Amino acid sequence: MDVQQGTLALMILRTLEVLGPLHGYGVARRIEEISQNSLKLNYGTLYPALLKLEQEGFIKAEWRKSENNRRAKYYALTPAGRRQLARETREWNRTADLIAAFFAPRRDA
Amino acid sequence: MRYLRAALARLTGLFTGPRADDDVREELQAHLEMETAENIRRGMRPDEARRQAFLASGGLTQAAEAVREQRGLPWLESMAADVKYAVRALRHTPAFTAVVVITLALGIGANTAIFSVVRGVLLKPLPHREGDRLVYLRHSMDGPGGANLGFSVPEVRDLRNGATALGGIAEFSSWTMTYQPEDGAVRIDVGLVTGNYFEVMGLAPILGRVTDARDDGPGVAPVMVLTHETWLRRFGGDSGIVGKQLRLDNKPVTVIGVLQPAPFFPVRVEALLNMVNSDHHLSSFMVEGRTHRMTEIIARLAPGASVQQARAEVAAVHARMRGDFPDAYDPGSHYRAAVIPFKEVLGERARLTLWLLMGAAAFVLIISAANVANLTLMRGVRREHELVVRAAIGAGRGRLRRLLLVENLLLALVGAAIGVVIAVFGVELLTALAARYSPRSGEIRLDVVALGFTFGLSVVVALILSFLATLPKEGACTAWISAGGGGQRLSGGVRKQRLQRGLVVVQIAVCVVLLAGAGLLTRTMARLADVDTGLRTEQVLTIQVPLLTPTELLFNPAADGSAKERYNRMREEIAALPGVTAAGVGSPMPLRSSSVGFEVKAEGKPVALGEAMPRAELRTADPDFFRAAGIPLLQGREFAATDRFGSGWVVIINKTLADRYFRGQDPIGKRIAWTGDVLRFTPISSDWRTIVGVVGNTQDGGLDAPPRAVVFMPFAQMLALGGGVVIRADSNVTNLTAAATRIVRRIAPAAPIEEVLTIAQIKDQSVAPRRLNAALVSSFGVLAVIIAAVGIAGVLAFSVSARTNEIGIRMSLGADSGRVQRMILKEGGVLLAIGLVLGVIGAFFAARVIQGLLFGVAPHDPVTFTAVALLMAAIGLIACWVPALRASRIDPAITMRS
Repeated sequence: MDVQQGTLALMILRTLEVLGPLHGYGVARRIEEISQNSLKLNYGTLYPALLKLEQEGFIKAEWRKSENNRRAKYYALTPAGRRQLARETREWNRTADLIAAFFAPRRDA
Repeated sequence: MRYLRAALARLTGLFTGPRADDDVREELQAHLEMETAENIRRGMRPDEARRQAFLASGGLTQAAEAVREQRGLPWLESMAADVKYAVRALRHTPAFTAVVVITLALGIGANTAIFSVVRGVLLKPLPHREGDRLVYLRHSMDGPGGANLGFSVPEVRDLRNGATALGGIAEFSSWTMTYQPEDGAVRIDVGLVTGNYFEVMGLAPILGRVTDARDDGPGVAPVMVLTHETWLRRFGGDSGIVGKQLRLDNKPVTVIGVLQPAPFFPVRVEALLNMVNSDHHLSSFMVEGRTHRMTEIIARLAPGASVQQARAEVAAVHARMRGDFPDAYDPGSHYRAAVIPFKEVLGERARLTLWLLMGAAAFVLIISAANVANLTLMRGVRREHELVVRAAIGAGRGRLRRLLLVENLLLALVGAAIGVVIAVFGVELLTALAARYSPRSGEIRLDVVALGFTFGLSVVVALILSFLATLPKEGACTAWISAGGGGQRLSGGVRKQRLQRGLVVVQIAVCVVLLAGAGLLTRTMARLADVDTGLRTEQVLTIQVPLLTPTELLFNPAADGSAKERYNRMREEIAALPGVTAAGVGSPMPLRSSSVGFEVKAEGKPVALGEAMPRAELRTADPDFFRAAGIPLLQGREFAATDRFGSGWVVIINKTLADRYFRGQDPIGKRIAWTGDVLRFTPISSDWRTIVGVVGNTQDGGLDAPPRAVVFMPFAQMLALGGGVVIRADSNVTNLTAAATRIVRRIAPAAPIEEVLTIAQIKDQSVAPRRLNAALVSSFGVLAVIIAAVGIAGVLAFSVSARTNEIGIRMSLGADSGRVQRMILKEGGVLLAIGLVLGVIGAFFAARVIQGLLFGVAPHDPVTFTAVALLMAAIGLIACWVPALRASRIDPAITMRS
């Protein structure tokens, strides 16, 4: 299954909120796990999305040593990113509720 | 904010490229290794683990490319690549590039220059505050000198009381004064204005103040406001000028301010003064005389009032005036008052000429653009191979189109840049031209708007050129290969050829229109130069030297005597110079129109009621004037030394007046007199005067003007109105200039010498603006013809090269070279013929538009039209011949083999 750009951004932000600063590999693993491997993220999808969020100021990146002592680029949520996540979550929930109501079984049937 | 930030990040991303690329590669590499390590941890063999990780990645290079696209502005980067490519492609075809750039530069340059002038003179808002609310009132009547009479003070008063749509009425009276700085003296034109003038006009000072109601009436201090131009030219922009006193007409006048730059109408003035500067303007003549019309009215529309309203009200007031004062408005002369927006009146003399030039320039641009379009089309065909290959390896149509656009933009912009350089010189030349026609020539600038116009023009040209070319269709590659691979002939398709031919027809037609215009204007010139001035123009020098100012003339009778005495001394001393055959004094100089004229009646010849009273110019002459000027005496005698003050009034009239009153009779000995209410305000009596001679008509009102009635009065029997010396020599009269000027200077050291010109020069001056018109349009015409000839030759040459095979086959089947030549000539000839027909039709309409600029030629002048058509046909045939010759030299053996 492919992911839409906007949805992917939301997933990345949420992942960083839950797990704290994380490298690209970690983000990908987490998203694949949550989706129970129904989503496959190739690099060409993930890294442009990360760069876009960085350009928009929602996340910031820095090079750090990873747990097994290898150099990796870590991404962390910025305060603006936190606000954006809250906003997007609200939006998403509202849309989801609406869609759900739309597809609910007809009561008068 | 978010987008701005992202855009900024992307923009900086353009420049941090290489460093960031390393960063990304390292990051992706790290990801791959982490995933490999994870796979190993889960029990895969290392090589399998790496392979799996790599499969999951989707390709590192692709990912790096995707990130790069997100980082920078991909379209900008590929645009840079396009530009680089376009520059390279254009450098490969230097001849094409040079021809296109030069063609466009000429077209765009001419348009930019003329647009700058049109904008400055006709389109730009006036510098006056709310200048579009200003209107000019024109008082006119039938007959010579009646085009712009001006208003009298009582008439202004009536309008002020009766026309409520005019919110404010500014009075402006042009006047001539002598400005006397420490060294020498010079006549300057000034405007005498009422205190409300600046308020109504919406003009502000840049230094000091302007006049207001306090400066009105008698008994106030004489003050002046300098115009911006004069302040710069005469006073070098002296910032301490305010408060200084200048001597004008022997009296000190205080400079109170310097005005913002502004155009003046109907005359250019150097300064604006309050009325107290002229005794005449405060006299009862001026203030009470209804026919004493010396005032121009510029009014500001009342808030909410429209020009139509003002027109209706002014017409009503004027009708009432005519009813109340029948003596002041001769019914036969049809007095009327028009209300014209001020901006329009400022541009009225320039309008036709400028639109003519703008039209000519636009035509040149059309021809250049058509030519460039043809060149581009032909080049497009040669490049089809390249475009097809590009399409085959994945360039989308959009991308190809953009490539062409970039190339054409590059061409057009380089052309425009060179065009701007041409325009800089063009604007300089045209400003001098515009100064003859418009008081607003000072506002002409090659400014941001004009440059924007140029830029817009070149972008439009580039867009049109880019969309003319056809692009290979999807799948064109296969079609192209099946059409024979290396061939040149996927195209040259019918549609494109038709377009090229259409463009050639347009070029020819437009050329014909331009040439016809140029021809008509040139013939106008020739007709004007052939006009008989009425006098013998060779070897006559005139020195115009007014000794008295209008104020002295009117209020100082003693000054008149001494002035006459000095004029006589000048004449005597100049006549004694070696080589001088005659010297006379009079005013004004021959071929200059007189500003003084009145109604004339003849004894025993009453003018029928309702018929316009004949008017005549008043000129003065001494006994030698006619001989010196070469004005032929038709009947009677010239003035004699005995015709002096008190010896009995005599006059000499010209042929026009003689024909008006005495057709078929001998006018000698008959009597005429000046008449009309306005005489009350002049020192001229309405006594009967005996006609002693009749002289020929002279073209004093301009070479294209109908002859006017003239009454010459003896210089001795009339006040010295202006005046000057006319000198005739037996050979090269210009050699006398220095000696004659020295004499005048010695006798009248303080008087301004206005003009020292030969009659031939005066005549030439009156033709000069038209000559410039004709020269400009002609040079546009020549330019257009050259460009079009290149275009025709190019298109036919292209057609020949596209038909090389066919021609080869024809020749091998027995067609001789003459036959091939005729075939190609016929192809060109058809286009030429269609173009000529369309062009002649177009020229017919264009000529009617410029009818007002013609003289002595009908707009459909058959001579011009035939000549132009023949010329264009000849040039067109030559342009066809070159490719036809080439076609006839095709070697069938070679073509068949290739």
